Amino acid sequence: MKLNVVKQRGLWWIVSGLLISVSIAAMALSWTQFNGPVKPGLDFIGGTRLQLERSCVDEAACTNPIDIVEIREILDNQGLEGSSLQLVGAGGQAISIRARTLDVDEQTSLRSALTENIGQIDTTASKIDVVGPTIGRQLLVAGLLSLIVAFAGITVYLSFRFKFDYAVLALLALLHDVVITLGVFSILGLTLGYEADSLFIVALLTIVGFSVNDTVVIYDRIRENFKLMPDKSVEQVVNNAVNQTLGRSINTTMTTVLPLLAIVLFGGDTLKFFALALIVGFLAGAYSSIFIASTLLAWWRSGPSATAEDMAAPAAE
Amino acid sequence: MGKQRSMLVVIVGLAIAAVVIILQLPTQLGLDLRGGSQLTLQVLPSEQITQISQRDLEAVQRVIENRVNGLGVSEAIVQSSGQDQLLIQLPGVSDPAQAQRVLGGTAQLEFRPQMPGTEGQLEAVAEIVGQQQQRQAALLAVGSNGLSEEQTAELESLTTDLQASRETLMEFFEPSELTGDKLTDAIAQPRNIGGTAWEVAITFNNEGADMFSEMTRNIAGTGRTLGIFLDDQLISAPTVDVAYAATGIPGGSAVISGSFDTETARDLEVQLRGGALPVPVEVVENRTVGATLGRDSIQRSLYAGMAGLTLVLIFMAVYYRLPGILADIALVVYALLTWAAYNILGVTMTLPGIAGFILSIGMAVDANVLIFERTREELRAGRTLYRSVESGFYRAFSSILDSNVTTMIACAALFWFGAGLVKGFALTLAVGVAVSLFTAFTCTRNLLFFVISFPQFRKVGYFAPSLDDDLPSNSQPSQP
Repeated sequence: MKLNVVKQRGLWWIVSGLLISVSIAAMALSWTQFNGPVKPGLDFIGGTRLQLERSCVDEAACTNPIDIVEIREILDNQGLEGSSLQLVGAGGQAISIRARTLDVDEQTSLRSALTENIGQIDTTASKIDVVGPTIGRQLLVAGLLSLIVAFAGITVYLSFRFKFDYAVLALLALLHDVVITLGVFSILGLTLGYEADSLFIVALLTIVGFSVNDTVVIYDRIRENFKLMPDKSVEQVVNNAVNQTLGRSINTTMTTVLPLLAIVLFGGDTLKFFALALIVGFLAGAYSSIFIASTLLAWWRSGPSATAEDMAAPAAE
Repeated sequence: MGKQRSMLVVIVGLAIAAVVIILQLPTQLGLDLRGGSQLTLQVLPSEQITQISQRDLEAVQRVIENRVNGLGVSEAIVQSSGQDQLLIQLPGVSDPAQAQRVLGGTAQLEFRPQMPGTEGQLEAVAEIVGQQQQRQAALLAVGSNGLSEEQTAELESLTTDLQASRETLMEFFEPSELTGDKLTDAIAQPRNIGGTAWEVAITFNNEGADMFSEMTRNIAGTGRTLGIFLDDQLISAPTVDVAYAATGIPGGSAVISGSFDTETARDLEVQLRGGALPVPVEVVENRTVGATLGRDSIQRSLYAGMAGLTLVLIFMAVYYRLPGILADIALVVYALLTWAAYNILGVTMTLPGIAGFILSIGMAVDANVLIFERTREELRAGRTLYRSVESGFYRAFSSILDSNVTTMIACAALFWFGAGLVKGFALTLAVGVAVSLFTAFTCTRNLLFFVISFPQFRKVGYFAPSLDDDLPSNSQPSQP
């Protein structure tokens, strides 16, 4: 099997263009609804999330599932109309409540009202998250700042190891991966109600770190081939490099995605969407490295001024 | 191949050391895994203090530590975070309502004169409080895991009793208007230059100075004490010398001396300053995970990760044959070394931390994949086995280095700007990437060279099974 990536670049670019357009459209829609490219969760806008499980030490207490209608009434009585409420866990013995930021008195009063209805709460199986609005903003700013710094750091490093245009094109491929991941999760937000938490930003950063790897491996090979075969055309050199690294690109993506897939399917709830974000990003990353970063470089460097020596020039090894 | 053999001995030694470390040094689990409450306190500026300085934050932290101690939670941690925040970790606390109530709010510092006729009782109760505090500290120092059931119950009742004795103690003192807001400064200083004895100098504002001199006049020489209470806990109870019986201590400044050394004097200073700061403290974040919930998620994610990794190991062996099997051994060594490194560095393992670990294993696999793909190419180009392996490692190096460095850059960005969970992820991933560089170039490499030193393993088919079909059709040998 030998791919001629450069020749078919129109096709790759159209596929990416479509994916990016859909992503941007989803983000725009999400922005009008939730004020963010992806539906922002508790971590960024603040609020309270309570996950409470009924204590089943006395088995008789757990014969019936919790009555969601009654819980809704309690929430209304506590002045928490419009909070979201869900029955979770096996046998409907646990509830998850999402409300505005509650202070300690409001929390206590809500809890005692709930205890009155559903009986003793098993605190060891419960979860409380209360995030003030200022903390949320702080987390968001810190996350965005680290994304920008990572982008800048990677560009500087690649300019130093390769050349500035390699770095810029690698960055473009990265943005491609980040935009597509954002797009997929903004669609998940619009359809399944997914909310981005701080782990989502972690996922984006990991995608940045990982998918630039794929691009670097291919660029590394392009640089090497230019040195070894200075008489070949840019197109040939890029095609060769992509094909030589193709096995590695596919295998690495697969070996990384396998454990993640296991987490999505069987892991704890907290990590599920995190692992899913990584999978989406890594797949987009593999695609963009093989088909986009390489063809962009071939296109950029096939101009009349670019010579083979110029490509191979950075001798850092 | 003596060099390979001795390197292998080193690697086996390292692996054994890693196992010993993992068994001896327990992995520190984050609150999201072991269950507990993490609170973020925001120190709010007020009219008098518009900007929270480092010194202010330190003083507030001391006040909060006092309050946390009052809760009687073992292994509780109070840390400053950023300019004006404190992070409090309360392991094992699943209903933090009480903690939130006690920890928030402005510090209450009060100077109260002792009531006449309570001298004897005060001493007795103070002694009980002292004993209870000591016992509590001893129990807390053991840590929650080391406590037997009775000890846990004892700790609980002790915390209640201590609270009661403190309240009794307070009843021996008259309420007063001389509160922390009238204290302008407290400084620990040596009593004489070059001496080892220390004292704490305190200064009041004008209003406080008058009240202080009146209060000290009343108790001077009587043997009754001036109780200094921080959040209703007696932190110091000095007596006033008879020399001041007529006028009280004038000028609004005084020194508290006693059996202070540098440390105890500094501690009282910080407590006084913290009590005097008119800054309210607010709980702005509360993350509480029940113990069994945390245990559930750690188990499920670990099992899932393990299952995925097993698949990766199988894939490596099937696809890359002999080198794949050797890489699998190297990966197991890698996982052991990384885990040991976490324990040595004291990395707190959180859920995202586990994800970071699993991902770093992915990175380690990638290094091996790069090397083996390169080796296969060299074999296809008609090189000898030994040369192919050699140049596989050599040529893959720059790719591996570049890709690891870029991941490290992303980790650094996460570590510097991220908070809590994000930091844990960045740290585990970075440590993992560093160790993977080491294992790929020592462990896999030496194993491989060691194995091909035996003639029976020197079969090209063990390295690139498809080579025979591939060779004729491969019109593009990688390079001359």
